[in-house]
Amino acid sequence: MSIVQPAESRTSRHPVAENVVVARAGISPRTRRTGLYILLTVIAVVMAMPFIAMIMMSFRPESVTGLREIFLSDKFTLENYRMNLRNASMLRWIFNSFVYALVSVGFVLLLCSMAGYAFAKKQFFARDKIFWLFVAMLVVPSQVTLVPLFILLVQLDGANTYWGLIVPTLANAQGVFLMRQYIMGIPDDLIEAAKLDGASEFRIFWQVILPLTIPVQATLGIFVFLWHWNDFLWPLIVAQTSNMRTLTVGLATLQSLVPSTNSMMAAAAISFLPSLLIFVFAQRFIVQSIATAGIKG
Amino acid sequence: MGSLATTRSAPSLWRRLERHRVGWAFILPVFVLFAVFRIWPAINGFLLSFQDYRLAGGTTYQGLRNYRDLFDDKVFWGALRVTLKYAVIAVPLTTVMSLAFALLINRAIRGITLYRAIYFLPYVTSLVMVSVIWSWVYRADGGLLNGVLTGIGLEPVKWLSSKQMVIPSLAIMAAWKGVGYSMMILLAGLKAIPETLTEASQVDGATGAQTFWRVTLPLLRPVLFFVLVIETIGAFQVFDTMYVMTNGGPVRASYSLVYMLYDESFKFMNFGYGAAIGMILFLITFVVMMLQRLMFGRSDT
Repeated sequence: MSIVQPAESRTSRHPVAENVVVARAGISPRTRRTGLYILLTVIAVVMAMPFIAMIMMSFRPESVTGLREIFLSDKFTLENYRMNLRNASMLRWIFNSFVYALVSVGFVLLLCSMAGYAFAKKQFFARDKIFWLFVAMLVVPSQVTLVPLFILLVQLDGANTYWGLIVPTLANAQGVFLMRQYIMGIPDDLIEAAKLDGASEFRIFWQVILPLTIPVQATLGIFVFLWHWNDFLWPLIVAQTSNMRTLTVGLATLQSLVPSTNSMMAAAAISFLPSLLIFVFAQRFIVQSIATAGIKG
Repeated sequence: MGSLATTRSAPSLWRRLERHRVGWAFILPVFVLFAVFRIWPAINGFLLSFQDYRLAGGTTYQGLRNYRDLFDDKVFWGALRVTLKYAVIAVPLTTVMSLAFALLINRAIRGITLYRAIYFLPYVTSLVMVSVIWSWVYRADGGLLNGVLTGIGLEPVKWLSSKQMVIPSLAIMAAWKGVGYSMMILLAGLKAIPETLTEASQVDGATGAQTFWRVTLPLLRPVLFFVLVIETIGAFQVFDTMYVMTNGGPVRASYSLVYMLYDESFKFMNFGYGAAIGMILFLITFVVMMLQRLMFGRSDT
């Protein structure tokens, strides 16, 4: 995880300069444009191929395994999905993944905006030192603290529990950083006005600050969901029984049992569905925040 | 947070402490979580690397023993070599691909957002799901790639089962998954380059290629370097795909540092030894980050 602002994003430029070159090269802009679209499309097909294959295979009966058949056969079945969704363990893993991701999102948003507000607008002892200490911890990769974190968890009796899975992931420096930067842009007048109206500190936070931070809450929420939904190493270590596995860990164990490929593809597709939905509906948020804040999971 | 006893005599001090109190109350939950689950484990990881730690008790400090054992351990050097090899292939591959993609999609033409979305899509997947799909893509017999290769009359390749190919195969897959992220960063960098500069260069008679090498690339250098650093740090953490797709094989040919850390700590319960591997990983990450600092100054905040 890292926070860096590589560049300011600017409005897209218009293609005048390109046409100058094109004219000189002696190829008509139209030919050049067609070539560009062909290139873009070929790359897109290659990039999308693993997804296309996954979807195709997930709807084919187990007997269909040949390449040609996978893409061209007219055999169609929902059996792979039905089988996966009738599997009690699978349902439990899906449930666990949702618990892990959604509970984390809720807490991270609340705790990070509280801290971000204090770091942005409150004066208190050692404020900036503590803030930079948080940010500095980003240089320590999570794999480095994996062993001591696991030992701590065992000492606290948190192994194989939901809270043990969730609580250690809530200390999110990137979230605090994002919130602080955003809240710093909120005018002090708004807070002062609320204070004059006699609002309590908590009410100012809840009714003045929080509603103004909704865009950044959405961005952070999307990323925290994706990080947790896709996380593997931490849930792998915390879960010691099948019942506590998340979907990623469950998929990994299924894969090692060498089941039918087509049913495995259906399982993969199921695990992808929430991320895909988020991507489709919130692509703009994701893309913008990478471009401006360099968020990375 | 102020103590009540000292504040009664000085009202102004009380007000000041009150202000501190509010700020502290707001950061307290995050502060406690941070202290317990980030800062303490980071310190303890360092301490553990000098210990022979046992969960049941009977932990002893043993100085540099873990590190000495590590440097005598062929498995460690193997894992370090595998990780380096992976980084050396995956990082340039991902960076060059993402630069090419960013240049391609940096135009205002119809449908470009759809292409951008498709190139970016693998980024939101989990590595486990990617491993499931690509296990089939790379399958020696009946997989996608070998199906295509034999279809056009070429020899099939042992993508995951040969010692030479396994790391390049995993690196290609990582590039496919990761390219979208770096592409977006580089795209933002490209858009930040003033149009007047590239236009001026072309009016002066430079070809597209000359403009790219002499104007665009030098201006993009800090962003490019940032991408390189992020990709390098990520590459050194490779684990999920190896765990799911190859089990570190064939014969530890895809057994990375984090894989060894995982095995030593959670399979063999050598926690001190695992922590020492973690410290090595931290050292590598730290050096890479400092390189960026040295070359481009503070780039965060």
